[in-house]
Amino acid sequence: MKSSPFSWIMLILSSLVLLFIIAPLAGIFLNTNGSQLIETVNDREVRESIRLTLLVAFAATFLFAFAAIPLAWILARKDFPLKGVVQGIIDLPVVIPHTAAGIAILGFISRDGFLGGIAGSVGLSLINNPAGIALAMAFVSLPFLINSARDGFASVPVRLEKAALTLGASPSRVFFTISLPLAWRSVMTGFVMMFARGMSEFGAVVIVAYHPMIAPVMIYERFNNFGLDYARPVSVLFITVALAVFILLRLVSLKKKDSHNTADAET
Amino acid sequence: MLKLENISRKFGDFALSGINLEVADGEYFVLLGRSGSGKTCLLELIAGLHIPDSGSVWIDRHDITHSRIQDRPVGLVFQDFAIFPNMTVSGNIGYPLRSRRRKKEEISATVDAIAAEMGISSILDRYPHNLSAGELQRVALARTLVLNPRLLLLDEPMSSVDASLKDDIKKVLRRLNRNGLSIIHVTHDYREAVSLAGRVGVIHAGRIVQEGTPGSVFSRPANRFVARYAGIKNFFKVRFLRENNMWKAIGEGNLTFSISGRETAGEGLIFVRSENIIVSASKPAPGTDNCFRGIVKEIFPSEYGIEITVDAGMLFVADISVADFGLLSIRESSEVWITFSAGAAVAIDGTDPDIQTRDRI
Repeated sequence: MKSSPFSWIMLILSSLVLLFIIAPLAGIFLNTNGSQLIETVNDREVRESIRLTLLVAFAATFLFAFAAIPLAWILARKDFPLKGVVQGIIDLPVVIPHTAAGIAILGFISRDGFLGGIAGSVGLSLINNPAGIALAMAFVSLPFLINSARDGFASVPVRLEKAALTLGASPSRVFFTISLPLAWRSVMTGFVMMFARGMSEFGAVVIVAYHPMIAPVMIYERFNNFGLDYARPVSVLFITVALAVFILLRLVSLKKKDSHNTADAET
Repeated sequence: MLKLENISRKFGDFALSGINLEVADGEYFVLLGRSGSGKTCLLELIAGLHIPDSGSVWIDRHDITHSRIQDRPVGLVFQDFAIFPNMTVSGNIGYPLRSRRRKKEEISATVDAIAAEMGISSILDRYPHNLSAGELQRVALARTLVLNPRLLLLDEPMSSVDASLKDDIKKVLRRLNRNGLSIIHVTHDYREAVSLAGRVGVIHAGRIVQEGTPGSVFSRPANRFVARYAGIKNFFKVRFLRENNMWKAIGEGNLTFSISGRETAGEGLIFVRSENIIVSASKPAPGTDNCFRGIVKEIFPSEYGIEITVDAGMLFVADISVADFGLLSIRESSEVWITFSAGAAVAIDGTDPDIQTRDRI
């Protein structure tokens, strides 16, 4: 970049924003000493909550993907009345406060609610249950998967799908052999984003289930009852695990793309 | 073998309307049209990607208007070939066979055979992203032919390959046609029609405006639009009248043309093929038809030799060979004579309101 005053201003402002993201995270790591961290790692309750968080977030993402991916495809390929409204509905969970989302989910899964009633009839309570947590996580994180997958499907050239049809493929075969593989990278990115967003959810989950305790709830509980010094090591541990999982998933989805369709950009 | 009966289909603010077309068994039919004329839509409609609003599509006396795409004995090669980027060449060619759940051994044997025929055996394991346009085209053809379609639909097959490869592709297409495959080939370039077609149709704004053998269409274009397609550069708006039992045409500046083939008086157009105009530096013998004196405006090298624009009250474009040009020794602003026979001045109907309004688009 040329060093005109304009580019200096751009550079300084950009650095400030980056610093704003990095500094608190660096601070939390620097303010945590090794012995505290080892103690936290050895805390069965903490380990259990992190395991639960990852597991439930993954299950929620995985299960909802089966319906979210078809919805994304329909949004990318079909025109229907009130499509804009449907698109708006999908984005709703992003704009409403997550505690309000939690309240809404709670009403839905409580014994008098629609889903809670069904679960209750087979003797299952969704409140304070991992299944309820998964629903709360999915509610707030689904837009990430749907939107990313929709963009992926939309970027697949329609001609390729038409060509496959004229070559004797059924519509379902076209979907599984052409559309999905070519949109795969965006679908995976959406998957990782939904997983990451679900895993870090606090507001909606804490209203649906205080116990069993997912990591964000546990960090809040440690902070409330014991203070900053006790909440910090749990946070550090959770951030580290989350980052590791995030990077791992990113690598897996990128690798898939490399071996799969480097020609994407050219078509 | 293929018959389109009164096909109409709306696409947003564009429509195919009243299309009637018959392609005989083993025929090579070229459909000429500009981009946006509806030629690709028509191919996609035959392939089943669109269902007509009215009319019907017949193949071998079966009504396939509402047949599923995968049940039609038709192969379509897209303009940009639409090779699947997530599969190798052999994956692409085998795709239609896998869709039909053929056995693995059968698929690989068929793929190998057709790849050998198309001269692409050496690239079977490669992914499409680093193949040349010529190779992609052969892959697309192989992939379409693997199911032995009765009718091959080609959308602008020459548009994305280098000039040097066009002859190769033409050879391949001629051979396929000789082996009995019926072909509908869509293009905007009349030279492809001349070199390949048994019959030509010209499509404009969703209608087929003329069809016939290339000879008949290009020597007797039905209107100015078709004439343009035949590469004709000299058009003159004229008034026809009968004088001493001979038809004449009066153009701008009272230029009077001797013409042939006119039966009614009134407004119209005549055209003259640029290669039928003779340019000479001295005055031709008296009694020569259509002889005009003019000034050379421009001299350009052209595909056939030299293109000379002469202002003789109206602008005439003549194409002459390099050798003839050498003998003429003329320059821009030289005085020359141009002549052409009455037979070369062809009258066409320029008053068809339908054509004129659409021509302006």
